[in-house]
Amino acid sequence: MDFEFTKEQLMFKQEVIRFAKKEIVPRVQEFDLKEEFDFQSFRKMGEFGLLGLHFPEEYGGEGADVVTTVLAGEALGEAGVDGGLTLAYGAHTFLCADTLFRNGTEKQRKKYIPKLASGEWIGCMGLSEPDAGSDVASMTTTAEKKGDTYVLNGTKMWITNGPIADVAVVYAKTNPDLQHAGISAFIVEKGTPGFKPGNPLIKMGVRTSQTSELVFSNCEIPAENLLGNEGEGFLYAMQTVEWDRSALLAPFVGSANFLLKRCADYAKGRVQFGRPIAKFQAIKHKLADIRIFAEASKNLVYRIAWCKDQGRPLNHLEAAVAKLFVGDWSLPVTNDAVTLHGGYGYTHEFDVERIFRDSRLAPIGGGTSEVQKMIISKLI
Amino acid sequence: MNFDFNATEQALFKELREQLGSFAEGRSLESSDVVLAEQNARDALALLGGTPYLKLGLADGNGQPNGSLALMAAMETLAEVSQSLFLTVEVSTRIFGRALSAWGSDEQKKKWLDPLVDGKLLGALALSEDAMNVDNDPLVTEGRQEAGDIVINGAKQYVINAPLADWIAVVGRMGNESAIFMVKQGTPGLTVSSRLNTMGYDGAVIAGLTLSDCRIPANQVIGPFTGDTMLKSLRLWENQVLLAATLGMMKGSYESARVWAKAHKSGGKPIIAYQEVGFKLSEMLTLYQTAQLLAYRSAWTVDNTPREAESLTWCAKVFCTESAETVSSSALQILAGKGYISGNTAEQAFRCAKYSQIAGTSTELCRVKIGDNALGYK
Repeated sequence: MDFEFTKEQLMFKQEVIRFAKKEIVPRVQEFDLKEEFDFQSFRKMGEFGLLGLHFPEEYGGEGADVVTTVLAGEALGEAGVDGGLTLAYGAHTFLCADTLFRNGTEKQRKKYIPKLASGEWIGCMGLSEPDAGSDVASMTTTAEKKGDTYVLNGTKMWITNGPIADVAVVYAKTNPDLQHAGISAFIVEKGTPGFKPGNPLIKMGVRTSQTSELVFSNCEIPAENLLGNEGEGFLYAMQTVEWDRSALLAPFVGSANFLLKRCADYAKGRVQFGRPIAKFQAIKHKLADIRIFAEASKNLVYRIAWCKDQGRPLNHLEAAVAKLFVGDWSLPVTNDAVTLHGGYGYTHEFDVERIFRDSRLAPIGGGTSEVQKMIISKLI
Repeated sequence: MNFDFNATEQALFKELREQLGSFAEGRSLESSDVVLAEQNARDALALLGGTPYLKLGLADGNGQPNGSLALMAAMETLAEVSQSLFLTVEVSTRIFGRALSAWGSDEQKKKWLDPLVDGKLLGALALSEDAMNVDNDPLVTEGRQEAGDIVINGAKQYVINAPLADWIAVVGRMGNESAIFMVKQGTPGLTVSSRLNTMGYDGAVIAGLTLSDCRIPANQVIGPFTGDTMLKSLRLWENQVLLAATLGMMKGSYESARVWAKAHKSGGKPIIAYQEVGFKLSEMLTLYQTAQLLAYRSAWTVDNTPREAESLTWCAKVFCTESAETVSSSALQILAGKGYISGNTAEQAFRCAKYSQIAGTSTELCRVKIGDNALGYK
């Protein structure tokens, strides 16, 4: 066992932190309050190389390994980038682009990956439905083969980047009589007749990410937009879990480190009863709990990433453990950070309030904590 | 980065698991009978002396695993078998023995460390005093030179193995410096009190001791030490041992609850099929796996990034010891009446978990120190 990152990985992490602090963080509060997606920051992430970090250079990527890619996510959180932008980045890079890359034809890769890696195009993934969340097999969106086309009908729900996406990987039943084996994946481009994203949902947190329905009404797409093979869609969706339990959790780890510094700085400057509140043991205890969460969650996340780098199949038990822990334990930590700031923590003036709201998604998005417990209890 | 143990380490853990499993069969390792406790300890040391286990972290491994991380995982194996036996063996080996290994002269190592790693010597280390907190209060126990010898006076409390140990390493001061005095059991002036009755660790023998003009030769002094490095190291090792103890507690109680939940039926189906039980087990496993990785990483830092070892060990100490209480309590709940019977794995772990939060650096003090770190204090 060896818990050490390479010097190059650590240097890269610092580069990402510097980049994010300069180019993204100064804009976070404004866009969170406006509930708008920050296109400029997203494109800058593309220019920096973050959006296609793990793709081969020939597709516009950087050829990074998984651990380095996950480290970049941690760095964004540690710099103070909001959960909305990191979620948009995750949905774009891992749920959409990576699925396209892993399962697409060479023609599809060449067409989409460079645009997605640069940030010229924005991607999303359409899997969940109003009545089919974690229970994917019960989806009702269909894709009927008609000659050289597929005709899609149905509605997808909770789609991150839905309103702003240029391309979507959409899952639909090509054989409604089957459960998981009846699901296939398709590439649908913005502007395709019969495809319409809904209006952005107003959310409690991760407000800079745009979330909506995707509505398909006799939406006809060329048969060549089938991704991979018919009936393998569920398999492709499950491939994203590896990223979901590593790269998408990493910003929460980084965010805890950001919170720790924010809270420490505030506690040293805030004077009550004649001394900085940092001198009170109860305040130190809160700081300690933030650090402990950051240290504990980090190991779980990088274990998934390292195993992926080794080419091992996903250990679903370890993946569920990582998601459950990061999801459930990030809440008390961000809650403590708000409390530590007192009244100020309850205002938009201080970013702990936003981080608290953003963290509420952790035990919900990508499979609720309850679903993780169902998975674990079945596997043990 | 690498999340796997190597083949040699895995082979050692497997061998330990098998040997300790056989050793435990038919023995009452948690019995509060002092005679039996000593017999169990001596037999276990004799067994482990024939393996690389006792040398871990103390002596050249001759190609065998020897780092703090391998030690942590190996200790976890023993802790899963018996909490009391674990505490007895590890206080002797990894605290008493580590002090010798780190600071003893060649002569002292030959005298005490060699028989220790061969499983022929049982040690104790006496640190805590009435003030309890060596971080804030200076040690009162003192040795002074007198006619070429050292004469020790003072009192120690909560000394694990004190009534059983062949040798006791007494931590005290000499003038303005600290030192470790090696006192043989039965030395005139050394009085070991009767065994304390404790909430957990029934099979570990804990007592206080007093030293009243206890005279030892000068070559039985380790040190002296300036500053607080020695005390900090002892605390670090103690905390690392306690981390391994909690991993054993969690593994044992989780496994007993898991096996029971799959076998015990209620309403015509195994109770694990009920979400209330299945979810509880999921939470327990999550805490155990998270604690295990954190403990492993803290052990890894001891050898690789020592500057962060102390701080990360405090983080692990808080998380692991509090998780151990939660996991053993949940196991007890799942086991229901069976879990409440004295001697049940979960019931024992639940009682022992509290000790792990108090001993070493307490969870409260750990949090204060972690907070100070974050604030840039000290």
